[in-house]
Formats: sequence, C-alpha cells, structure tokens
Amino acid sequence: MSRALQKYLDRVMIYANRNEKEAAQIRAELEDHLLKKIDDLRTQGLSREDAIYQAIEDHGNPRTVGYGLRKRFPLLDVRTHGTARGFIAVGPKAIGIIAIGGVAGGVFSYGGISFGFMSLGLLSLGLIYSIGAFSLAPLGIAFGAIALGIMAMGLLSFGVTAIGVLAISLICDPFYISDCMRTISWFTPETAPHFLLQIKSIPSVMGWTWFPFYISCIVLLTAKLILSRKEYRRIKQADPSLVE
Amino acid sequence: MVRLRKQTLDGNVETLLLAILEAGPSYGYAIAKELNQRSQGILQLGEGTIYPVLHRLEEKKLISAKWRLAENGRQRKYYRLTARGRKALLMNRQQWQMLAVVMRRVLNSTKKLSPKPRLKGATI
Repeated sequence: MSRALQKYLDRVMIYANRNEKEAAQIRAELEDHLLKKIDDLRTQGLSREDAIYQAIEDHGNPRTVGYGLRKRFPLLDVRTHGTARGFIAVGPKAIGIIAIGGVAGGVFSYGGISFGFMSLGLLSLGLIYSIGAFSLAPLGIAFGAIALGIMAMGLLSFGVTAIGVLAISLICDPFYISDCMRTISWFTPETAPHFLLQIKSIPSVMGWTWFPFYISCIVLLTAKLILSRKEYRRIKQADPSLVE
Repeated sequence: MVRLRKQTLDGNVETLLLAILEAGPSYGYAIAKELNQRSQGILQLGEGTIYPVLHRLEEKKLISAKWRLAENGRQRKYYRLTARGRKALLMNRQQWQMLAVVMRRVLNSTKKLSPKPRLKGATI
C-alpha cells in the first residue's frame, strides 16, 4: 500500500481515537474502500499516483471522517476542532431539560431569590457553551431528575396537605378556617408528622440547589479544558503536522 | 450546479443508505458508488462520510454487518437491512413522499391570493 494512503488512514484513525480492536476493523474497512476505488480509477485509465490522489480526495477530509467515527455522546466533547458541532447534536434536548428543571425548581422554591439563581445558572450555561461547548446531556438529565423529585415533594407538601388541612378545617368549623388551620395544620410542630416537617423545610433551601449545579459546571468545565489539552497533545504526538 | 446544503441533508443520509441496502447486502464502496449514481452527482458527499452513518445505523440495529472474504482476497464488511431497518425505511419513505407532494404543490403553485373583499358601501 502506498505511503500516502497509509498516512491518510493514520490521520483518520488519530481523530477517530478508538480502541485497538475497533480501530483495526475500521481501518480495514476504509482501506478496502480506498484500494477498490484505486483499482476502479486505474481501469478508467488513471496512473497509480493519480488514482491514489483521487481516491483520497474523494474519500473526504481525514478530520471530518475521523471525528465522525469517534464514539458518540462521550461525557465531554474534547475535539480540538469544530467543538460546537458536538454541542449542537445534543444541545437542544439538554437545554430543554435544564430549562424545564430550572423553571420547575424556581416555581417550587417560592420564587424570589431562587429565580435570580436560576437566571444566573442559565447565564453561566451560556458562557460555558461559548467557551467550549461540551455535551450537557448527562448533567441535564441529572438536574431534570432532581427537579422532578422536588416537584413531587412540592405537590405532596402543598397539594395533598393543603387539601387535607382544608377538609379537616371545614369539618371542624367552616367559619373559622384560618384559626382551625393554625391549630390542626400538618405543618405545626405540635400536630405534624415528622416527615411532613422535613418536606416543609425543603422549599426554603431550594435556592441552595443551584450551588451543586454551579460546582458541577465548574468541574465539567475544568475537566473539559484538561481533556482538550490532553487531546491536543495526543494529536500533536501522533502527527505534529495536524496541529500546525 | 446547485449543491445541497449540509443542513438540508442532515439526518436524511441514513434514509438514503437504508434505501440502497433495500436491494440487498452491500459494502461501503459499492454503497457510496450507488449513492452517487442514484443521486446523479448532486449529493457530492465525501465517500468516507458514509461510514459514520453506516456505523450509527448498525448501532441502532437498523442494519447488520458481517465480514466476508472478497473476490480480491481481502476481508470486506457487508451490510444488510434488518427487519427493524426495513420498517424504518418504509416509514421514512412515506414521510418523504408526503413532504415531496406538499413542497411541490406549494412551491409550484402560482395562484395569486384573491384581492381583499370590499365592504358594501365602502369607498376608497
């Protein structure tokens, strides 16, 4: 096989970055394609060199082909070029999950300061995207799950309890509902079951749930920067001309 | 010649490859050649870019792959449509046919909008 062909395949495989077994299979498949193409071009009358050049040209940019062959949806997109494309592939879904989670979190946390935190959270996400854009799907799913849990707890504490308290109040004395609620409320320390008191305290600390979110963003961003650097070094070591 | 934009093509290459494999098992180079012939050169895709799509289809179990010995003595990876892939192709084809009809009807229509109805007794 010609050196030009070898070099082309080497470059594709550098960008594909698959394990040894997978890389060997992908390489064999691409090699078969290129050799078959060269055979065809030669039967059309092209010289060997021209046929090789043409086959490589028609096969496409090694970076495009290689990145396409990289495993999909890694936790972090560490490609050294065209990083935004990885984000666009999963972005709308991830943004949707995070936005719904954020809105749900805000609604069930008495509004106020938590909405401010939510806006700051979305703003920081925007900043992170503009810096490097990595896959946020796992983070989004995790945050969506947290929000769903909080929504369920919110419904339990404000929905079911409210109906129960209202029903008891009506039975006690329909004309003194507020007084009745104060004395029989499931939330008052004297009458409330312990688990309901726990639930009641959750919304007041909802604003703090953004802090783990910020921390996870910072951790992911740091990891992204470290891995991007590592990827850059790996490519440079394998073929310095690729990063020049 | 007008070229198809990447955005227009995104997500549709999978359907095109499924359609080619409907005729029977085939391998990368033959699929790329067939795609080029059927599209009469309009697509102009890098031949290597069909492999990520083929591998994705394989992951989704819409096609299956097997290595076999080719006529030149080299190992070659052959792809074939699975029952799931056939079903997906049928659905995509129906969608595309409907969309094509709608696009043709709307884009080729030169009918002018009817003028604004005048109110009785109104003067301009």
